Amino acid sequence: MISVLRGAVLTATLFAAAGCAGNESGAVVKAHTDVTSLGQPDRPIAGPQGATPQFVVECRYSHAASDDPIVYPGQPGQSHLHMFFGNTDVDAFTTVSSLADGGTTCDQPLDKAAYWAPALLRGPQVLTPVKSTAYYRPGQGVDPATVQPFPDGLVMVGGNSGATGEQPLSIVAWSCGAGIERAALPPECAEGRNLRLLVTFPDCWDGRNLDSEDHHAHVAYSSGGACPEGFPVAMVQLQFSVEYPVWGSADGLLLASGGLTTGHADFMNGWDQAKLVSEVQLCLHRGVVCGVASGRTG
Amino acid sequence: MQRKVLAVALAASLLLIAACGDERADDVTTSVAATAAPGATTAESTSADTTEAATDTTGSAGTDGTITVPDDYPTIQEAVDAAEAGALILVQPGTYHEAVNVTTDNLTIRGLDRNEVILDGQMELDNGIRILGAKGVTVENMTATNYTRNGFFWTGVDGFRGAYLTAYRTGDYGVYVFDSMNGDLEHIYAAGSPDAGIYIGECYPCNSVVDDVVSEHNGLGYSGTNSGGNLLIVNSVFRFNRAGIVPNSGSYELCYPQRETTIVGNVVHSNNQADTPAIDVALLAMGNGILSAGGVLNNIERNLVYDHDKSGIGLVPFLEEDPNDAIPSREEWGMTCADAKLQEPQDPGAGILWDSFDNRVIGNVLEDNRAADIIVASAGTDVSTLGNCFSDNTFTSTAPNNLETLAPCDAVGSGDWTDGEYNVAAWLGEEHPPSVDWQTATLPALEPQVTMPDAATAPAHPATDVPKQVDLDAITVPAKPS
Repeated sequence: MISVLRGAVLTATLFAAAGCAGNESGAVVKAHTDVTSLGQPDRPIAGPQGATPQFVVECRYSHAASDDPIVYPGQPGQSHLHMFFGNTDVDAFTTVSSLADGGTTCDQPLDKAAYWAPALLRGPQVLTPVKSTAYYRPGQGVDPATVQPFPDGLVMVGGNSGATGEQPLSIVAWSCGAGIERAALPPECAEGRNLRLLVTFPDCWDGRNLDSEDHHAHVAYSSGGACPEGFPVAMVQLQFSVEYPVWGSADGLLLASGGLTTGHADFMNGWDQAKLVSEVQLCLHRGVVCGVASGRTG
Repeated sequence: MQRKVLAVALAASLLLIAACGDERADDVTTSVAATAAPGATTAESTSADTTEAATDTTGSAGTDGTITVPDDYPTIQEAVDAAEAGALILVQPGTYHEAVNVTTDNLTIRGLDRNEVILDGQMELDNGIRILGAKGVTVENMTATNYTRNGFFWTGVDGFRGAYLTAYRTGDYGVYVFDSMNGDLEHIYAAGSPDAGIYIGECYPCNSVVDDVVSEHNGLGYSGTNSGGNLLIVNSVFRFNRAGIVPNSGSYELCYPQRETTIVGNVVHSNNQADTPAIDVALLAMGNGILSAGGVLNNIERNLVYDHDKSGIGLVPFLEEDPNDAIPSREEWGMTCADAKLQEPQDPGAGILWDSFDNRVIGNVLEDNRAADIIVASAGTDVSTLGNCFSDNTFTSTAPNNLETLAPCDAVGSGDWTDGEYNVAAWLGEEHPPSVDWQTATLPALEPQVTMPDAATAPAHPATDVPKQVDLDAITVPAKPS
């Protein structure tokens, strides 16, 4: 009820206030087909922190469930197994409105966003992630002073859960720890370098829709520092990293969503919106580093 | 419920107006959860905050440009937002539940009483006072406690001063200076952080001074990752941390290696404290007084260093299993941090070992450091080739043995480097007492700290005359505290 009401008010307000073109979202597309957001970043993000403005949130693993409140809302058990981070109360019935009622595993108490990724398995064994890290930065080449926070209520998916081949490394990649090498399949990591899945989310918004039928069409990727036509809002870019207690041989690894190339991650904006706005303005617009993920624990 | 719906729609449409109109949002500093309860210790009212703000937004500055909190503005954040560059903000005694963000140059933000102006994050707010890219901001004479990240935090600035500050029980660092240069940290007490009580990182040249600080019961007393270049740490006390003074290199942040830090006239003792919060590096470094972890070209002179389970002064490698770049060659050690940011990283393919090169250890007084008073070690590199030197120290043991004969400063050494060589790699396999939750760690009671003289009457003092001049030659080995 709330979301319906809000959707109506929101749509009306947006059209009235902004005078943007009407909503012409496409036909219904079933989940888990080969679909992804428009465009792709120019190159994978890698290298030392400290040159690009950013803020970072580290979130412990919260729970696992075969739920997906974006793709299978209200249908518990319908999804492949997901690992949830951040908001502690996420299940199939979660909405962007209900996130505020949950707790958070993040080291930023005002970030109650829901972050999730498919479970990684070795044979029948589900691997419990060590932690996740959410990097918030401007898209590559995008003027940091122009990026906007995610709109309140935005949901989106990074990567393609129905990919039938390798995805661009700039969107979905595996790495050994925080190292700069990126691979389409899990590499064999040296001892002490935990395997990570890195998913880069779209950073351009159509300015109208907080979601879309296929959960991809309302957002897109910037390239060459600019957003594609039809996506006028440059947003902060989320890169989400999940670290697993895995090194050595990658034999037997499998994502719950299918093959190892089906890496993806989901995001529901549950930030305290004022805090998100503030961090984007203070850290990104001012071009400073507000925190680094040290690769250390403790 | 309707109000919420409307608010959401409004927020989204505001965003959209900016987006479709292709206008930039104003760079407004937003105060988050800024609720002041001046003079109060428990009760606070968020609704009162709104009311006060609504009726007091025209709060006036004093005739001399001084703004007083809460008289002129009820919160520090509102005063900061209203202040023009160069203003003096005086904060009266009270407890302030604020996370203050500063984006205006050359402010002086001063508490009237260091021990009674308390910023309390209540384990919810992130940073007590955070300065973001604003030049020349001084923060002085106040206490920050119970912040999930840092008590006081400067990032991306040219010119900073923190003075007469107390940071107590914080989730990351006590005083954290990152990617900043030209500054002073002085008369500071920092206790109860899992990382470092005092930190200066990612700068070269830093042109900064740490003077007269006391840092205790932290994971690390001082940490400086990839910082140096006219960076002085002097006349300070580092005690009862897991490890004392730990300059270190690593490629997860820029401007490596750590280098050219001068550590003189400090009392460093009893850094074996097992009941502190601690990041993993602090666990590993535990029991050491002054520990260069992959640092180069540091000067460690005339310090008093005693009572450590491992080394008094240790020059050891830092093994980075998870590097973001290859180690720069010696020829690149002079590269400024600004230039380093423009370099393309290279994948070294495997873990890398940051050795400690070319450090000078002179005239220190060491006693009762139980692995050895002075240690130099590597994990595969021939330590005789590292270029570190040792002269005029007072000690009873070194590892390898006879270090001052093997590698005297400004003279030719001789002897057997394998005699008494130290196996630093064994630290990796040791059992380390686990970290303690920073929120509940046992800390010494917060004693009253020396407060700034003439806080009410001294003029604004922005950080435009930094770093302070230090007469290094005049500093002698400090006396042992009673």
